Amino acid sequence: MPRHGDDVSEQLSEYRRIAVFGGVYNNAHALAALLADARGRDVDAVFCLGDMGGFGPHPDRVFPLLREHGVLAIQGNYDESVGSGRTDCGCGYTDPRDNHYAAISYRYTFEHTSAENRAWLGALPRHRRLKLGPHRALMCHGSPRVVNEFLWESATPNGLLRHLMARAEADVMLCTHTGMKWHRALPDARHAVNVGVIGRPENDGRANVWYTVLTSAPDLQVEFVPLAYDHETLAREMDREGLPPEFAETIRTGWWTTCLENLPARERARGKY
Amino acid sequence: MSRLPVATVTPAGHAPVAPFVGLATLWVQITGTWCNLECRHCINASGPKSPWLKPLDAVTIRRAIREAEAAGVKEIYFTGGEPFLHGEILPLLELALATAPTTVLTNGTLIGPQTADALAALAARAPYSLELRVSLDDTEREKNDRIRGEGAWAKAVAAVRLLRERGLLPIVTATEITRDEHPAGSGMYERFRDFLRGQGVERPRVKIMPVFGIGRQPAGATAPLTEDDLEGFDRAVLQCADARVVAADGVYACPILAGLEGARLSTGSLAESFRPVPLYHPACVTCRDTGMTCRNS
Repeated sequence: MPRHGDDVSEQLSEYRRIAVFGGVYNNAHALAALLADARGRDVDAVFCLGDMGGFGPHPDRVFPLLREHGVLAIQGNYDESVGSGRTDCGCGYTDPRDNHYAAISYRYTFEHTSAENRAWLGALPRHRRLKLGPHRALMCHGSPRVVNEFLWESATPNGLLRHLMARAEADVMLCTHTGMKWHRALPDARHAVNVGVIGRPENDGRANVWYTVLTSAPDLQVEFVPLAYDHETLAREMDREGLPPEFAETIRTGWWTTCLENLPARERARGKY
Repeated sequence: MSRLPVATVTPAGHAPVAPFVGLATLWVQITGTWCNLECRHCINASGPKSPWLKPLDAVTIRRAIREAEAAGVKEIYFTGGEPFLHGEILPLLELALATAPTTVLTNGTLIGPQTADALAALAARAPYSLELRVSLDDTEREKNDRIRGEGAWAKAVAAVRLLRERGLLPIVTATEITRDEHPAGSGMYERFRDFLRGQGVERPRVKIMPVFGIGRQPAGATAPLTEDDLEGFDRAVLQCADARVVAADGVYACPILAGLEGARLSTGSLAESFRPVPLYHPACVTCRDTGMTCRNS
């Protein structure tokens, strides 16, 4: 049950196979690679779960790709902030170091996003519902109830998932926001999937990013797809734009250097910092 | 018996309220106010002698965890007092961890190699993250021990090292009580982070809390909140909107006020406490002003 009232009200569409990604973070290179890769996987549609901006360079390069390829998007906390002219990203950090980098990132994105694209972000729906074969799927950014809620694998109990999905009347819940993918099949055959992000790697020392392909066969199949892209060009563009070297380091090395505060112990222990 | 100093409060029936939006966080006041330390600024005046809030029995804790799971709880916290004084802390922690990610707020002084081993084993087999919040008020031994008692610094720092050696990543939690004793402009977070790195902690985790004028260090004449104070403020962001605390004599709205009559919402089940909360206490002003949460983040 969405906490905010502006759920998408489109007619419930039915799909057999879809590609879903989150967190573009201004990474037009990864987005272009994803769109090419997904074309070869026989998907019916491509969905984005929000957060187009932040972190990377040249925000306006993302929007033509989303529009030209008919990507069906929802609004993340970043999109909500940029779209409504807010002064911060709404990530909700309390660690001053995280907030320092988040402020740089947000200011850059806000100043380099055109008025037209800001308006587009502001008009995105917060949720989407669709049928994936017999499965009722709900797409959200953070969680069905709060746009910036972090649903980490090691910090999202089954009881909470049952609660959220029962209220949302969904068999499948798709979310992003944390930057790390995971999938859990609950004993009652419901599925929760964090589809990951394509904007930055997964804090595993590898430069690739991830997106997700879901297939109704008719049992739900969830495939996480590693996506290589020209990350060195992206990192050079970040350097040229004067973005913090810590951001480019993450793109080059695959280790997160900022925004670490919210990671639970288990996810934090897997990273370098 | 040392009761909490009484602050000026608004009668609960006349106070503004925060809504209940759903149970996200269950706090378990496992040892009540029973603690082996007697810190100068303790929010609930915990100490070793005659705790004014009694420890919880295991049956009550198990029932609360089951109820919380059914309500869709997201995380569980064990606090006190000092949780590691409770004889059943480890099996109760195991039960909590089978239900939701669980955090223990500890002063660290009772965590020796054996307990650290047991915690590492628990963390490894649990489906969800185990978090340990170790309290340390200053990176300097003398400043810390003036607040927390002689020897507290060395034992807490030793616990952090023991946990780190076993792959656990404790969150060092500090109040701002000695902030003014350091040069103006020096970052408290940075000081703790650098200190932890110096102790060999490669992934330092630090949480900083404001000092509440309550417990052993009561505030002066802070006025409680009024409806006017909350004009335009989203009360759903207050932690009492989605947290509940199970203690020996009832269910409370927040961990700061656990045990206080005006904050008690139920003397029975957890579900009975799922109702709006009176913001009757001056400590509620700190939550509104600082946006603080007792959660990890």
